[in-house]
Amino acid sequence: MDPGLLRGLREILGEAGLVERRNQRVPYECDGLAFARQLPELVLLPRNTDETARCMRLLDEAHVPIVARGAGTGLSGGATPVEHGVLIGTSRMRAILEIDERNRFARVQAGVVNVDLSHAVEQLGLFYAPDPSSQKACTLGGNVAENSGGPHCFRHGTTTRHVLGLVIVTPQGEVLDLSKARAEPEGLDLVGFFTGSEGMLGVATELTLRLTQTPPVVETWLALFRELDEACECVSDLIRARAEPSAIEILDQLTIEAVEASVLRAGYPKEAGAVLLLELEGRESEVAAQARILEPLVRARGAFELRRARDPAERTRLWAGRKGAYGAMGRVAPDLYVCDAVVPRRKLRELVRETTAICEARGLKVANVFHAGDGNLHPNISYDRRDKEELARVLDAGDAILKACLAAGGTLSGEHGIGLEKIGAMEWLFTREDLAAMCRAREAWDPECRMNPGKLIPMRACMETRT
Amino acid sequence: MDARTIIDYAKSLDCVHCGLCLNTCPTYRLTGREPSSPRGRIHLMRSLAEGEIQADADFAHEMDFCLLCRHCESVCPSGVKFGALMEHTRAGLAALEKRPLHVRLARAIGFGVLLRDRGALSLAAALARVFAPARMPLRAERAYQPTLTPAEGERTSAVLMLEGCVMSEIFGGVNRATAAVLARAGCEVRATPQLFCCGSLHAHSGESSGARALAREAIEASEALCDERGAPLPLVSNSAGCGAHLKELAALFEEADPWHARAAALSARTLDFSQLLAREPQRSLLAARMRASSELAELSPIAWDDPCHLCHAQGVRREPRALLALLPGVTRVELAGSEDCCGSAGAWSLTHASESSALLEGKLEALRASGARTLVTSNPGCHMQWDAGVRRAGLDVRVLHLAELLELATRN
Repeated sequence: MDPGLLRGLREILGEAGLVERRNQRVPYECDGLAFARQLPELVLLPRNTDETARCMRLLDEAHVPIVARGAGTGLSGGATPVEHGVLIGTSRMRAILEIDERNRFARVQAGVVNVDLSHAVEQLGLFYAPDPSSQKACTLGGNVAENSGGPHCFRHGTTTRHVLGLVIVTPQGEVLDLSKARAEPEGLDLVGFFTGSEGMLGVATELTLRLTQTPPVVETWLALFRELDEACECVSDLIRARAEPSAIEILDQLTIEAVEASVLRAGYPKEAGAVLLLELEGRESEVAAQARILEPLVRARGAFELRRARDPAERTRLWAGRKGAYGAMGRVAPDLYVCDAVVPRRKLRELVRETTAICEARGLKVANVFHAGDGNLHPNISYDRRDKEELARVLDAGDAILKACLAAGGTLSGEHGIGLEKIGAMEWLFTREDLAAMCRAREAWDPECRMNPGKLIPMRACMETRT
Repeated sequence: MDARTIIDYAKSLDCVHCGLCLNTCPTYRLTGREPSSPRGRIHLMRSLAEGEIQADADFAHEMDFCLLCRHCESVCPSGVKFGALMEHTRAGLAALEKRPLHVRLARAIGFGVLLRDRGALSLAAALARVFAPARMPLRAERAYQPTLTPAEGERTSAVLMLEGCVMSEIFGGVNRATAAVLARAGCEVRATPQLFCCGSLHAHSGESSGARALAREAIEASEALCDERGAPLPLVSNSAGCGAHLKELAALFEEADPWHARAAALSARTLDFSQLLAREPQRSLLAARMRASSELAELSPIAWDDPCHLCHAQGVRREPRALLALLPGVTRVELAGSEDCCGSAGAWSLTHASESSALLEGKLEALRASGARTLVTSNPGCHMQWDAGVRRAGLDVRVLHLAELLELATRN
């Protein structure tokens, strides 16, 4: 790192805002995609928009690549550092700046943890709807970058539907305030374009987010099946019958075993081959009506039991179990590869079978826990990253699963993003022209491609547009 | 010594890097730095074991910066034994002598002299009263328990009470209250000067040989006190930190070591005093003696602050609340973030004074918001920390040990 640049950055951030020495940078070498590693040259932890912008101006002058990082819980390597690059972390930007109850929005700094926002507005009868499984740790800024989903996004939509405005620092260090337009955007919808851009266009430092009214009645139901197949089929039945819960999740037996062995002890029955986890919400009469539709449908599909969580404490436990399933799988092996692919819902059963077969053929252990309502599969493959040969089999299985999902009319990612993990797969889905068009859009913001290079859009496509 | 061997490598592999621990970690929330988080520290440990990094001063600093509050263990879906991992690493660092000379000297005095001898500790406490009165609680009192406190009314059981090192030097009144409440609940309470310091502070700081020596003393002392059938008495602790350590004592010894089994047996008979009192018949006996009084009413509303080593290390959350619910004419209000660390963490508040104050500031804010007039805890470190904080902030709040409150309510 150039000493002049380092001095400049230190002047802006002070010692507490820099992570410089090697032994302190090492924990930043990966995010949730733990096998992909690169030591960052330097980690910057600015406290606000101004500090971020001043740092990014210096980095622009020095042509240094930048990767933004929230809590490092992403699963596609979106926050994996790049060679000779600097990491900008938002972990010291944790202030909730404004809560507007009447207009139902909150303005927050990018490093606010997802669940902390919901806690802050709980007393007002409001919540922030997108609820990724990592919501107790992940940041809202990271959610915007990845357009994160979550179980309840089946009803409420993913992050992009909840972002009303952004303050963005561009790759050149300019502050772009897009938080004024809270209704329909004037001109191009830049907020919509930025959301889900995986750190390629700049760093969002302040977010204006929609708050949702807490439903008067919420019920959590479990339908227990002997077979995973039956649970999958049941999902389409529910939607066809217009019994639309706010969340439709499926957990298989291996997942249940791991969750029940953990501190979460959620209370999932170990005798079930698969559990359909459903949440009903609305006015009392609506919830009761949905429950009436539910019962005969799940019975007809072979559920041997349908039960309702007795109280809020049990509901909380069941959801904590669902959301901690990824961590709980750490009991099975040191590492876990969480695939993320989307298929048309009516093909859920076939694809779940196929992913299982793909993993078995490669001698891999797979557990399934997924957002069934959205057709969003998450085959969880256990492995040990120290075993290079096993890791190669895992990645090969991941590719095969994605190809199977694409062949069935699905797509590459439901919520984890493309990042580093699936950048190669972009060429399976998009033509060279498609990718070149994406590059031109990116270069309008970042002509040097310094923001999160090597993620989301294959660099080769960018090279081609330039020549 | 190969620095790589200081890590309990197998345990470090339990971490799957999900990050669900991050937001619970006091030092991560304070600094926003990944190496100061549980996941970051495990990453460093594993990197050291795999030869990627050196056990240098930066590494030692991150390990020492952890409060060992173990909040991360309460939320870890993967079941990482973070406390054990950290104690193992610190023991290795102590052996490598990576710390500066003045730190090593202070540790030698603290762990080798003060906490090994009641006379030396007593002298140090007396000096502290004179030279550092601000750090001492208002009602500091030295008192040692009689070897026998008979049960009041019908004797239903007998227990051995751990007096502890800090408790008897600074919170003698708390020990007296604990013994009185136990006696009123039908327990005959035994105490012995042979059982002095449990060694938890040694173990937390990586002084493993000192911890083992004290563990052996504690095991022998406790085995000497038996019931009518010759079985060692249950050991009751009123200090969350000591209780947590005693419940995991076997971790100090290799499995082949005969002391391992004896330590495990001691762990199996160790209880926090709230666990014992929340059981029958103790609970009913205690409830029958509860009397409303103006003195008690003045303390209301009260707030319970879970000591980390009670809720996170021992998983005891329900019992203290159940006992507080018995108090007549007293309302209990919830303290937001009651499972967050207050920044005391044994000697950490001395070695990291400014960070400790910053953590306490958040807790004081929650206390103000709760409107409580009495803050209840059950660990001497937390007690001192709250006491100092309340005084510094000028709050009209009393800080009491759970046993003191129960004693007051059952006094006739």
